Amino acid sequence: MTVSMDALKDKFRNPGSAELELIARYAMLPGSSQRERAFEAFAETGLPHRRMEAWKWTDFKAALKQVEASKNAADNAALAAPGQSVIEFTPDGVVLPDNVPAGIKLHERNEAQALGAAEEVPLGAMTAALSGRVGGLDTLIIEVNEPTEQPLHIVTRGDRGETNFARVAVIVRPGASLDLIESHLGGAGFSSFLIELGMQEGGAVSRTILQRGKTDEAQAITAVVTLGEKSEYTQTALAFGAKVARLETRLKHQESGSHATLNGAYLCASGYHADFTSHVRHGAPSSITRQVTKGAVLDGGTGVFQGKFLVPRTVGQHTDADMQHQALLLEDGAEVFAKPELEIYADDVECAHGNTSGALDPNQLFYMRQRGIPEAEARALLTEAFVAEALEEASETAQEALLDAARRFLTDSVR
Amino acid sequence: MLKLENLTATVGEEDEAKTIINGLSLEVPAGEVHAIMGPNGAGKSTLSYVLTGRDGYEVTGGSASLEGIDLLDMDPEERAAKGLFLSFQYPVEVPGVPVMTFVRTAMNAQRKLRGEPEISAPDFIKKSRELGAQLNLTSDMLKRPLNVGFSGGEKKRLEIFQMMMLEPRFAILDETDSGLDIDALRTVSDGVNALRSPERGMLVITHYQRLLDHIKPDKVHVLANGKIIKTGGPELALRLEEEGYDGVLGEAA
Ligand SMILES: Nc1ncnc2c1ncn2[C@@H]1O[C@H](COP(=O)(O)OP(=O)(O)OP(=O)(O)O)[C@@H](O)[C@H]1O
Ligand SMILES: [Mg+2]
Repeated sequence: MTVSMDALKDKFRNPGSAELELIARYAMLPGSSQRERAFEAFAETGLPHRRMEAWKWTDFKAALKQVEASKNAADNAALAAPGQSVIEFTPDGVVLPDNVPAGIKLHERNEAQALGAAEEVPLGAMTAALSGRVGGLDTLIIEVNEPTEQPLHIVTRGDRGETNFARVAVIVRPGASLDLIESHLGGAGFSSFLIELGMQEGGAVSRTILQRGKTDEAQAITAVVTLGEKSEYTQTALAFGAKVARLETRLKHQESGSHATLNGAYLCASGYHADFTSHVRHGAPSSITRQVTKGAVLDGGTGVFQGKFLVPRTVGQHTDADMQHQALLLEDGAEVFAKPELEIYADDVECAHGNTSGALDPNQLFYMRQRGIPEAEARALLTEAFVAEALEEASETAQEALLDAARRFLTDSVR
Repeated sequence: MLKLENLTATVGEEDEAKTIINGLSLEVPAGEVHAIMGPNGAGKSTLSYVLTGRDGYEVTGGSASLEGIDLLDMDPEERAAKGLFLSFQYPVEVPGVPVMTFVRTAMNAQRKLRGEPEISAPDFIKKSRELGAQLNLTSDMLKRPLNVGFSGGEKKRLEIFQMMMLEPRFAILDETDSGLDIDALRTVSDGVNALRSPERGMLVITHYQRLLDHIKPDKVHVLANGKIIKTGGPELALRLEEEGYDGVLGEAA
């Protein structure tokens, strides 16, 4: 690319040294109009920071003073079982499986048409601008043409790199279905994954996500999802956080009769920050959204939940939507920030939301201790039961592994 | 076996702490079942919480020991591992934890604290099936979260189920009879009687003589104003039933 660094820099307001490195990376990548558009969108905000309303609790700019290699190897505990079909993204590129499930086609592209909304999310735009490498592909397109049974896994691992950026587009053809399982294991100073998922009429996707990172890593997992007529999308995420970790989902009911489930759980130990942010637009009548987010946070950990349902007056009639967020503050010094928002202009709708945070019930704890269960074990068991509700809709292939991961964390960290 | 001497205890936060147990002495030898009766608010449940070590119940004087071991220094779970069991007057709901999971966790936690090996899965299942059947608890019920949505009487049966599974050395039954229908009263009493043994002691808190027809106590104590004010044989319960506390206590005062 023959653009001068200065010209690129000028697009940003006060770029920090991390942003300067990202700009330099961009300058080295093959140019394209798509990439340029994404870069322009990223330049509008730069790395998102606390003075932006949607990022007031999750400040990537402050967390990423520099883009530095992580001191940690990626966590090894991917959800994928041996023999399953795995797509792996590392700083060196992507490794595709030989055994792609029947009904699925993988296309490597140097350009992919963004769904548009990716550019509305700063880290989505950044990932679209920066994924790929010289001589490598920018985007992996997963085309799902039939109902598929065999799960498809995506694993991202940073291999102690500075960055690990990856971009995937999924097209689900009419009546086709996909069991997608993602393990985002950190291991790079800055990992960012962008997935754009377009579902056509009657399509079905189950997406199960595990996020792990370390306290010197920033991680973003951004999804842009469009639901066609009577399509069904079920997302379940378990996040352990990182120095900052954000799982952001922007979902649009584009045609009537679609059904979305957006569940998640965060478990944050000291020094870990996990952010679940979602935006759901009921852009078509008679669509359903169910959202359950649960969290448990220890002293020095931070959980963030920001959820928004937008129901426009002209198109959102007969929307049925429910948003629940419940957090457990397991110790003094645990922090949870929550902002549930319903923005409803249509009048014939059923929308509800609930938001609570508190401690474990001392009556339950005493009852369990009276039966001989030590306090730490009682707390871990109650917390596991609490969080498990948000993982009930996970893919059958991965549900046990998610519950095990949660249980292991709670057994090891809850006192 | 259980020995309480001049026990005093307060309930509530520091500045609002209220003395509820006020110089209570009581001894239940191994192999015996004693009943405690007494008016509402006398301190019966408070005594059970003091003995099991609930937070917010502070012992301010006296002593309590089980088989010569001081209870008051131990955490609730240690007391449980030493064999102390409380059937709660108001069993607590434990959402998301199935009865079977709960009991197995409790059983193995106690065994671990005592340095014993875990129960094997087949042994556990066999035992829970047998006892469940005895108490009319179906296997579907035992898969549900503990106490959540169970009826009052079912909850009491679940308390006794837990007791029979855990086989404690000393059991306190706090109004286990309240809420039980006539048949359940019999099955629960049969369960309790099955546990009677020369090594085991029990303290049965009740308002009704009826339970004591099924579970014959060796002694009956009357607890009022935080202390035992009268002790007698099973006939004392009958007298209370006829004359009421006013009659019996009037004479004691
Ligand atoms: N946390 C508390 N703060 C203040 N007072 C309390 C507290 N808990 C119990 N009490 C009081 O202590 C007294 C004894 O209560 P307790 O529950 O032991 O009575 P009880 O003998 O079991 O009565 P019942 O037959 O109704 O079950 C009551 O007057 C009660 O109001
Ligand atoms: Mg009571």
